[in-house]
Amino acid sequence: MKKIAISLIISISICVAIAIIANHYKNTPKNAPVKKIPQRIVTLAPNLTEIAFGLGLGDKIAAVSSDSDYPPAAKQKPTVGSFWQPDLESIIASRPDLVISLWFEQQKAIAESLSRLGIDTIILRIEKIEHLFDAIKKIGDATNCTKQAEELTEKIRKQIEAVRLKCASSKKPRVLWVVQTEPLRIGGRDTFLNELIEIAGGENAVGFTLQKYPQIGTEQLLSCNADVIIQSAMSSENIEAQQKTAELFWAKKNSLPAVKNKNIFVVNADLVQRLGPRLPHGIEIIAACLHPEILEK
Amino acid sequence: MAQILTSKKLLHNLTICLLILAVVMCLCTFVGSQRISLLKALKGPGQSPGYNIDYEIFIIRLKRVILAAIVGAALAASGVILQALLRNPLADPYILGISSGAGLGAVIAVLSGITFTFAAGSPMAVFAFCGSILTITLVWYIGKSAAKSQLTSLLLAGVVVNAFFSAVIMFLTSIAKSDQLRTTIYWLMGNLTDKSSPVLIIASVSVIAGITLMFTLCNKLNAMTLGDQEAHALGVNIPRVRLIAFAVSAFITSVAVSLSGLIGFVGLIVPHAVRITFGPDHRQLLPLSAIAGALFLIMADTAARSLFGQEQLPVGVITAIAGGPFFLVLLAKYSRKVSWLK
Repeated sequence: MKKIAISLIISISICVAIAIIANHYKNTPKNAPVKKIPQRIVTLAPNLTEIAFGLGLGDKIAAVSSDSDYPPAAKQKPTVGSFWQPDLESIIASRPDLVISLWFEQQKAIAESLSRLGIDTIILRIEKIEHLFDAIKKIGDATNCTKQAEELTEKIRKQIEAVRLKCASSKKPRVLWVVQTEPLRIGGRDTFLNELIEIAGGENAVGFTLQKYPQIGTEQLLSCNADVIIQSAMSSENIEAQQKTAELFWAKKNSLPAVKNKNIFVVNADLVQRLGPRLPHGIEIIAACLHPEILEK
Repeated sequence: MAQILTSKKLLHNLTICLLILAVVMCLCTFVGSQRISLLKALKGPGQSPGYNIDYEIFIIRLKRVILAAIVGAALAASGVILQALLRNPLADPYILGISSGAGLGAVIAVLSGITFTFAAGSPMAVFAFCGSILTITLVWYIGKSAAKSQLTSLLLAGVVVNAFFSAVIMFLTSIAKSDQLRTTIYWLMGNLTDKSSPVLIIASVSVIAGITLMFTLCNKLNAMTLGDQEAHALGVNIPRVRLIAFAVSAFITSVAVSLSGLIGFVGLIVPHAVRITFGPDHRQLLPLSAIAGALFLIMADTAARSLFGQEQLPVGVITAIAGGPFFLVLLAKYSRKVSWLK
């Protein structure tokens, strides 16, 4: 009994001592090195890659995530694992001096491991259009491209405004954005998808919901009177086949104006839902679905 | 064909197994998605980050191998203790509510977005640890308050609490956003990612202390496998041993789960495999299971992170795919040798 008590006390005190030391070192900043301009940048998501290229940092990008496919130069860069699971060893082997990541748990954990090794990291939360402009500014400040960041932000804002003005009309089509068909889940009012719908001159067919991507039942579906149904493609290949499958799926619910008038569109999520410099282009695609009479398809 | 365990034999087996563990740990630090050279790595970190890439990658791999060893040892040792306490060959460390308690804690951490951390760990780890400790305390008290056989009511309480918390987890998962969902599922599948050194040291100290403590109880556990009355006649204070063993096993499993998520199979199969090979004496079974668990998880994790280049499989997939057939072979080969299995 005595031995047990002694060993317990010793191990608990070791643990507590280590915890205190760890917290202490977390609070005292290490000798901050002179702020250099990053020359080897690693981006862990496709939209971050597009933003970096958009700021003119193409030469300085050392590696990208494996699903970065735009611009074409990004496909030539070495890869460091996928968007969902970046590979820590490959990132370190690329000798980065700046790593740009998103804020969800897997990428945040990798970013924290990297900053423990002394590599500068930027963790960005990009869930809405305003966040995109903040992110561009942050990346611009960190890479000494503040001017290019402002220009890029202005350009994107102007293009979005142009689309918004073109599509502003008294009649707003009711839009249902379907993110999943089984079970049926739609993009609610408090989402980035809703922002796209509103800029493109539409209105979400479903009113305010508690969840951001709620599952809706057949009753609510039939009573929402959607004029247009937009469906996010599951994968970026074979959009035509997915369009046909979607039309078959919706054919049963022909009391909806969208189905009667055949306004069902499957959109490539890589183009439309990627929060990056190609956002205005994505909004134009949505606008073409909502207002075909105003814009060419 | 009973073999009597002598301390010489125990030390002999223990030393060999520890040597094998050390060799495997060294070898596995050289396997990974990048090639590194040992000579370059040994030159040290250099004055600025990024100076010696080989060293940095080597240290990351070493930390990961140590983490796998700690988690594997904790799960296997805990499996041994629970199989002895519950006298049930199907007992694994998660059977008494730890899996759903830890899962619930992790899901709550992800959904609420709280950023509280302990010793530079992650909020999910802290919440998972608290969740599993609270759940197991709940299960213990429900089991204890039953009038009949404590073991049955403990198992039943564990099953019910598991089911209830799993339902709550399912509900919370259904309202989660897509990336939160992915994070939760990823965590529940079990994974070994890079942790900070303080967390690793605290975990190692806790797990080794826990296993050492349980080792002192092994004589009494041997007696308890004969049955309550026989053990009591041999002078074992059953309620006290049960409480201590249960508490320590729950603690080290919670530490393991908070670090790595729910890695299945290790706690169930490794004790059986060691028991078939070396015999059921707990003084040998416990330390050797801990070492075997560490070995198994190190090799499974090395396979998981290097089979597909930069893609990483969840460790739980490898443990189940590799462990199942291996165990069946072992069972077929040795069941003829060991008479008590019949």
